[in-house]
Amino acid sequence: MAGTSHAGVTSEHLADLAAQSGLRKVGVRPPLGTYIRETWRRRDFARYMATSSIYAENQNTFLGQIWTILNPALNAMVYVLIFGILLQTSRGLENFIGFIVIGTFIYRFFSDSATGGAKSIAKNLNLVRSLHFPRAVLPISAVLAQFASLVPTVGVMVFFVLMSGIFPSVTFGGVDWEWLLLVPALVLTYLFCTGVALILARVMASLPDLDNVLPFVLRVLMYGSGVIFSIDHFVRDPVLSSIMQYQPVAIYLDLARQALLAEPTIPLVGLKWAVGAAWAVGTLVVGFIFFWRAEARYGRE
Amino acid sequence: MSSQDAEIDFEIDAEDLPDRPKTPLVLGPPSVIVDDLRVTYRVIGTGKRAPVSAGRNSAFRRLLARGRANAVRVTEVEAVRGVSFVAHHGESIGIIGTNGSGKSTLLQAVAGLLPATSGSVYIAGTPSLLGVNAALMRKLSGERNIVIGGLALGLSRREIDERFQDIVDFAGIGDAVRLPMSTYSSGMAARLRFAISTAAVPDVLMIDEALATGDAAFRQRSKAKIDQIREQTGTVFFVSHSLASVRAMCSRAIWLDHGLIRADGPVDEVADQYREYVEELRSTGQDDRDSAL
Repeated sequence: MAGTSHAGVTSEHLADLAAQSGLRKVGVRPPLGTYIRETWRRRDFARYMATSSIYAENQNTFLGQIWTILNPALNAMVYVLIFGILLQTSRGLENFIGFIVIGTFIYRFFSDSATGGAKSIAKNLNLVRSLHFPRAVLPISAVLAQFASLVPTVGVMVFFVLMSGIFPSVTFGGVDWEWLLLVPALVLTYLFCTGVALILARVMASLPDLDNVLPFVLRVLMYGSGVIFSIDHFVRDPVLSSIMQYQPVAIYLDLARQALLAEPTIPLVGLKWAVGAAWAVGTLVVGFIFFWRAEARYGRE
Repeated sequence: MSSQDAEIDFEIDAEDLPDRPKTPLVLGPPSVIVDDLRVTYRVIGTGKRAPVSAGRNSAFRRLLARGRANAVRVTEVEAVRGVSFVAHHGESIGIIGTNGSGKSTLLQAVAGLLPATSGSVYIAGTPSLLGVNAALMRKLSGERNIVIGGLALGLSRREIDERFQDIVDFAGIGDAVRLPMSTYSSGMAARLRFAISTAAVPDVLMIDEALATGDAAFRQRSKAKIDQIREQTGTVFFVSHSLASVRAMCSRAIWLDHGLIRADGPVDEVADQYREYVEELRSTGQDDRDSAL
């Protein structure tokens, strides 16, 4: 057979021959069901990629892994100093320290997940060009890496909230059963972030310019989500205020605050938990399908 | 395309080369079918600069025009321009051609790792490509690369643990497995990559210059592995500049020239044609590209 010329052989002949020999077509995205199964089968891979990337990140520093805790702690201290003590944004809040610390930590998790997810394909192009695996593993593991480093920083966050009572202008509400709600709040946030990462990963793969735009979008979103100020205290317009309060990022900040703070202006609201769950599931499903639809095209330069 | 500067020629001693299997292998059913495959690279932000007309334009308008000319410019580079062939189980095929003839691109597209612009590729099982960029994650240790490669191929953690020592031994890198792969020599990286890729026996193995970086002992080990794959009725593709290696390793050769097949047939026939072509280029002084014979 070697050396056979294929002049005159049509594509249909070759496709028939392929079908008879049990060959599968390359570069065609698998059906959604198969894709989900294949991605699930690679969950160890996603986990291992996540821990490896955390490890690689702090590899060349003297303090090493301690930076995953130090970095957010320093960040929170800066915000507390500027907005809480110097600018006195605390009006309308009993515990502005807790408010700002929770806001910055949860928002940081979101923005790092979005950035990491967006870059996940380009960053691992070597891997994409060498091996076969569902590409969704890459954005998923990027968010997983952020989630893994969020867990120790939650300790720092809780510590800041517990210590907030030492400031004279702060009323610390105490610890109660509602603190347990932090766990579902973080899980919902994580699911939402994974959906966002999948969407951004696909957009970034075809539009690398997003890399330059994303930081600005994230900064606008930070001010639009009430990370360092209370939305209903500053935004008077009722329509605008509701839109800002029910967009997903603000919802997840609110859920974490409902859990840890005893703020009279942030009561436990069941509706917000329902909205948070809907945003999480909706974004994840839409993001996964959106990402899967371009599966055959990742890795093209 | 991506490997131009990494393609280094190696003079290979004849006695280093393993013998080609003397027994003619029986060809099985088709394992790879390529139908009119085309691959076009999209390069963003390069290309000819549009002339900016001087004259009465304001400086602002000139700036604007130049900005626009620089911004949206997508250059298309045709690397593979319509290639068709059928490969069979138990066959080993050498792909030869000068630099930039599209050899590496063809392999990546056949492996399904580089999306084709048009045409179809059909393949049996899972292909495994050994490219020039051997390190999967340069910052991480060889150890972690083995696990990542294995997991990506679909092995379980236990299977990887079981094969771990074999992979390290086969690659012959010893304690260096704990160091980041950025510290590896290209030979060490290529050997480790070969060992990872063949840990799960692939149906179609594609080797892009990877063996050229190994020493004689490793070449013997890899040759044995390739024979094992072929005995298990796999198919091996082998891209090399070294005609001697292709003659030693392959039964069939495909000569690629500017993205098109120039010849396809028994290895000695095609290799002789290619040698004549290169010698002719050399004698007319046209050739400044490297072409080992």
